[in-house]
Amino acid sequence: MPPAPIYLDHAATTPVREEVFESMRPFFGARFGNPSSTHRWGREARAALDEARERVAKCLGGRQDEVCFTSGGTEGDNLAILGVWRSLRDKNRNAVVTTPIEHKAVLGAVHQAACEGAEERYVEVDSSGTVSDTSFDALLGSDVAICSVMWVNNEIGTIQRLPELAERAKAKGVVVHTDAVQAFGKVRIDAASQCFDLLSISGHKIGAPKGIGALYIRRGTPLQPLMHGGSQDRGRRPGTENVAMAVGLATAAEIVLAEHETESARLLAMRRRLEAAILEKVPDAVIHGRSADRAPHVISVSVPGTDSESLLMALDLQGIAASGGSACQSGSVMPSHVLLALGLRPDLAGAAIRLSLGALTTDECIDRVAEVLPALVLKARILVPLA
Amino acid sequence: MKERVLVAMSGGVDSSVAAALLVGQGYDVVGATMKLFCHGEDVPDRPCCSLDSVNDARRVCERLGVPHYVINLESRFGIDVVDDFVNEYARGRTPIPCVRCNTFTKFRDFVHKADAIDARWIATGHYARVVDGELRRGRDDNKDQTYFLWGIDRAVLTRMLLPVGDSTKSETRQLARTLGLSVVAEKAESQEICFVPDGDYVGILRQKLGDDSPALSRGPIVTSEGRFVAEHEGYARYTIGQRRGLPGGFPMPMYVVGIRPGDRAVVIGPRDDLLGRGVIAREVNWLAEPPRVGAKVEVRVRHRAPLAPGELIRIDGAEIEIALDAPVSAMTPGQSLVLYQGETVLGGGFIEIATREAGDRMALPIMAA
Repeated sequence: MPPAPIYLDHAATTPVREEVFESMRPFFGARFGNPSSTHRWGREARAALDEARERVAKCLGGRQDEVCFTSGGTEGDNLAILGVWRSLRDKNRNAVVTTPIEHKAVLGAVHQAACEGAEERYVEVDSSGTVSDTSFDALLGSDVAICSVMWVNNEIGTIQRLPELAERAKAKGVVVHTDAVQAFGKVRIDAASQCFDLLSISGHKIGAPKGIGALYIRRGTPLQPLMHGGSQDRGRRPGTENVAMAVGLATAAEIVLAEHETESARLLAMRRRLEAAILEKVPDAVIHGRSADRAPHVISVSVPGTDSESLLMALDLQGIAASGGSACQSGSVMPSHVLLALGLRPDLAGAAIRLSLGALTTDECIDRVAEVLPALVLKARILVPLA
Repeated sequence: MKERVLVAMSGGVDSSVAAALLVGQGYDVVGATMKLFCHGEDVPDRPCCSLDSVNDARRVCERLGVPHYVINLESRFGIDVVDDFVNEYARGRTPIPCVRCNTFTKFRDFVHKADAIDARWIATGHYARVVDGELRRGRDDNKDQTYFLWGIDRAVLTRMLLPVGDSTKSETRQLARTLGLSVVAEKAESQEICFVPDGDYVGILRQKLGDDSPALSRGPIVTSEGRFVAEHEGYARYTIGQRRGLPGGFPMPMYVVGIRPGDRAVVIGPRDDLLGRGVIAREVNWLAEPPRVGAKVEVRVRHRAPLAPGELIRIDGAEIEIALDAPVSAMTPGQSLVLYQGETVLGGGFIEIATREAGDRMALPIMAA
């Protein structure tokens, strides 16, 4: 019998937790009401939605009216960046500041703003993926509408000193957004003591289903909605609310926070062990962002002389799921824009694979990957390189 | 389970049936679609990177219960196939990109991917057969694709599986229906060059060479005696044997008989000017023991053209010369010359020059430059 498959792609998505699934179940049954309805069914749904909003707000250190449910990270990022910029563009704040290592959801939204007339500015990052303070300060000014800096990088796991950056941006009157999709449950997030204005999270990265997320919006933040229609979510996000999934998100968020310390320690120990094993057997392997402060669940590694596409296929055929850079529409693996932005040689960027640990990862998984990965790598390297 | 095989799947009926047959024969099948080019946003109806083909191949693999991957060979394909295609037109030749794709992309780069996943075999949906280490013509004469396969590394033959080479096209379609591959069973045949959107190869040349390149600039149409007849809008728009688009007013039908990049001339002449008994090919590759000078062979000079008997009269490294028993029309520089003995492909090369008589250096007007 082949060994059990190993899922090392938690940064891509996570399984829905049993408790989360159970918490959503009533809303696929008897509690099917529309929260905008005034009758009993509506009230029941409304109560569940209000409660979910409060629970998520509490997880973020904010107030319930500061939580807007979205369809996920991409919508949150778009709503934050375009919503704020469109509100402020006519108030002499036409620039948008971000980094070249953001998720495509942020880069795409900034690009859209630029198509509509915004000035886009990119903060420099060093080779480990940390934002340069000098560059950040230099780009922020009274003409900037919003800056968006990802808290934990999804490809290499680098953690930015987001609370500090946010304070410096606020000092210049700039609205601060952070994509915290990978950060939630991995770093301490507290809207009460930290001064970011907007923060996106995504349900399916933390054990809730795909298709739900939340955008924290600090009171008083200028924001135009992306969609137009009813008055749901204070008009910020019209459309009948996804009650079941909002409840699921709240449940997942609470569990992840409750487990934060023990789980982070567990993942960190496993990550360190796997990194050490890889480096022992493949001494010239490059672990990206190694010198930086990194989240405990992500390893991004390039082995010179290999390519990520072949390695990912070979791993998958051994039952080990990992991922490459970003996939294009067709599913082919493209070199990561993040790694290229760190100044990595294109051949190393094209060799990068990401192993991301999480709920499904056990010590046995790490043992097996520590054995299989170096073997596949060595095999890939003895193949005659292409001319 | 038998050994692993990596199947190149285009999303068409042939490679889909190939994969299905191999699954049926007990192989450990892994499907892969090569991403070879990307038109980006240029072609509105076709999403990026022939997404529909990828999706069809993926659907077939889901149906067969085997893994499917997309393999990106775009940058190499761009250099080995697309750039060469453009350069050949710029040189006044008529390229045959499928040969180079087979030689460099499918049966070299793709084979490296097979190595990386420990696949003993590679398979495609080509209509050709590998028997006893020899490449042979497919059983369906109309579909035989050996004309495009002569350039591959001979060593790869020992790893190739061509499961539809024993079928006719209609049998393949029937098999697709029987095997439940309704996604692809009725798909239309693609005769176009895959990386040329809407069959407009001039568009690609324009993009790569620029509008003002000699190959796309105005030049003279002249008769083989040298008389100026009219102007054309770029010699890259013509190929040997072409009639369409030529000026009229001649007592007999006129054809393109030569292209001279030197003075950008397109040479036209009557049908007889296209006939030659000698042909020289370069970049020759052998898929069997190389025949000796004097060997009787049959050659094909164009896809689906009848086999022409002749004699191998010279081998100079990677260059060969053939004396044909009877004149053959419109042998075109850049196309393949493939040598057969019976069903077996001996090898082939790219046509460099066609001559009136073998052995004489009097080229047909085609190479008069």
